[in-house]
Amino acid sequence: MKFDAVVIGAGPAGSASAYTMAKAGYKVLMIEKGSEPGAKNVSGAMIREAVISKVFETKDLPFERIVKRVRLIFKTRENETEISVKPKDKLYTIARLKFDKWLAQKAEGAGAVLITKTTVTGIEGQKVITERGEIEAGKIVIAEGANALLSMSLGLRRELRSEETVLGIKEVYASTRDEVAKRFGLQGDEGESWRIITDYPLPSAGFIYTYKDAVAIGIGAKVDEITQRDIRPFELLDTFKEPYSELIKGFSLREYSAKIIPENGFPSFKPCEGSIYVVGDALGLVDPLTFDGIGPAVISGHLAGKAESCNAYSNSLYEASEILKVMRSRPLTRELLKGDNLSLYIHLVTDFSLSWAEGDLSKLKYYKNSLGTILKHLLLGLEVVQ
Amino acid sequence: MRVEERLYTLRYKRDEKPHLEIKDQANCAKCYDTYKSPCITVCPANVYSFTEGKIVISYENCLECGACKIVCPFNNIIWRYPRYGLGISLRYG
Ligand SMILES: Cc1cc2nc3c(=O)[nH]c(=O)nc-3n(C[C@H](O)[C@H](O)[C@H](O)COP(=O)(O)OP(=O)(O)OC[C@H]3O[C@@H](n4cnc5c(N)ncnc54)[C@H](O)[C@@H]3O)c2cc1C
Ligand code: SF4
Ligand code: SF4
Repeated sequence: MKFDAVVIGAGPAGSASAYTMAKAGYKVLMIEKGSEPGAKNVSGAMIREAVISKVFETKDLPFERIVKRVRLIFKTRENETEISVKPKDKLYTIARLKFDKWLAQKAEGAGAVLITKTTVTGIEGQKVITERGEIEAGKIVIAEGANALLSMSLGLRRELRSEETVLGIKEVYASTRDEVAKRFGLQGDEGESWRIITDYPLPSAGFIYTYKDAVAIGIGAKVDEITQRDIRPFELLDTFKEPYSELIKGFSLREYSAKIIPENGFPSFKPCEGSIYVVGDALGLVDPLTFDGIGPAVISGHLAGKAESCNAYSNSLYEASEILKVMRSRPLTRELLKGDNLSLYIHLVTDFSLSWAEGDLSKLKYYKNSLGTILKHLLLGLEVVQ
Repeated sequence: MRVEERLYTLRYKRDEKPHLEIKDQANCAKCYDTYKSPCITVCPANVYSFTEGKIVISYENCLECGACKIVCPFNNIIWRYPRYGLGISLRYG
């Protein structure tokens, strides 16, 4: 069998690519190993509507809640500081199974053919090999996610190292819509997102997202920190969750999941070769500070779908603001997570708030020696917001 | 809460053919002594255990997260995806 294009993986990157090519009149096949799109995929998750709507019509996007407040929490073992932000952009919380299915349906609606329960086991020249047979493809888009077995087998990229990989783990606690609203003080479709940065028991980034009738709670930490400090991922999650136990008291655990998050990638991973294109997490396109990866996945998938050549795709990645943001965030994140830098900041923020509250800013003199470091990070930070 | 209780919440369909395999158990024995087998530490689903001088893999519990392969100092894990839509199926994700 022959298709103009074969897309491997029906996540956000794959569906965006298949949708773009099908709309342009190509005969497209999308192959997904899961029982249905989204069944194997893990996110928090929060998305920015403005990014998704660059590619898809979002009127019927199956969101969980509309985020009215984002709480940023800096936590040390002893103390914490919270900053509450009312987002100007439209932010949604989503659950991946519903969201990924919706995206895949958009691609099918545009004419792409989707087959599920089929794993691609290899690529040879223009042949895509699955356990059910082979397909000839004019163009191949690899949208296989962070554990990029195919891209690696083709030599387009290497394996991630443990110091550039985060392991995200997550639980979903379900109750009723009213109970979720009550606990967070929400009305109607309103939702809330919490991002928590802590250095205890190891540097990690946690999140709490409200779904319609459930709460998602999870944490990400660097894989090398987990192994070096010999802390099991679920112990880390339990330590993180403990202070929030009242929030989910009486709710029932519905799901436990985990996935790696890449903190490195394009341009050090090759985005394409000949007529084979790599998109999304497989190309390492996740913002390492916020875990924002669905937007870049959709954008890169779309760009690969549109591109007439490898060169054109590569250039278009450099021109896309969502992709640039990811590339610019990496040096800052690397710096922040180096040695004790993260601890320095979390303590600075919490001590600052505490001494401000207590009316004694002289406590902050301990930070004088760190001024050089802080300035350097400030400059790197300016790169990110540029 | 125990890991097993968390895994009970999940829908799995078992692929008879293990999707994870060890290349060389001799490396695991060495690794257990020298590096304390990082695959055991990092795995969120207790898939790996070291019993009677060997690594045993309960692959049917795997969350397909991808972490074990990255931490293995001997590149000793053959990691494939389950076939035909088998393995884990999430409801939320
Ligand atoms: C804990 C956690 C929280 C996160 N929170 C957020 C968040 O709040 N917001 C956000 O934007 N991002 C978040 N992310 C990141 C986000 O999940 C990813 O960036 C995003 O899923 C990338 O999309 P993708 O399409 O590239 O890959 P994926 O979503 O991983 O999709 C890859 C698809 O390919 C399929 N596949 C893989 N190999 C094969 C094969 N050989 N044959 C057939 N099919 C195959 C898979 O089954 C899957 O469906 C989070 C990640 C984690 C782990
Ligand atoms: S980390 Fe690798 S070598 Fe070590 S015990 Fe695990 S599989 Fe064996
Ligand atoms: S992929 Fe994840 S869940 Fe599966 S065995 Fe490896 S570490 Fe454990």
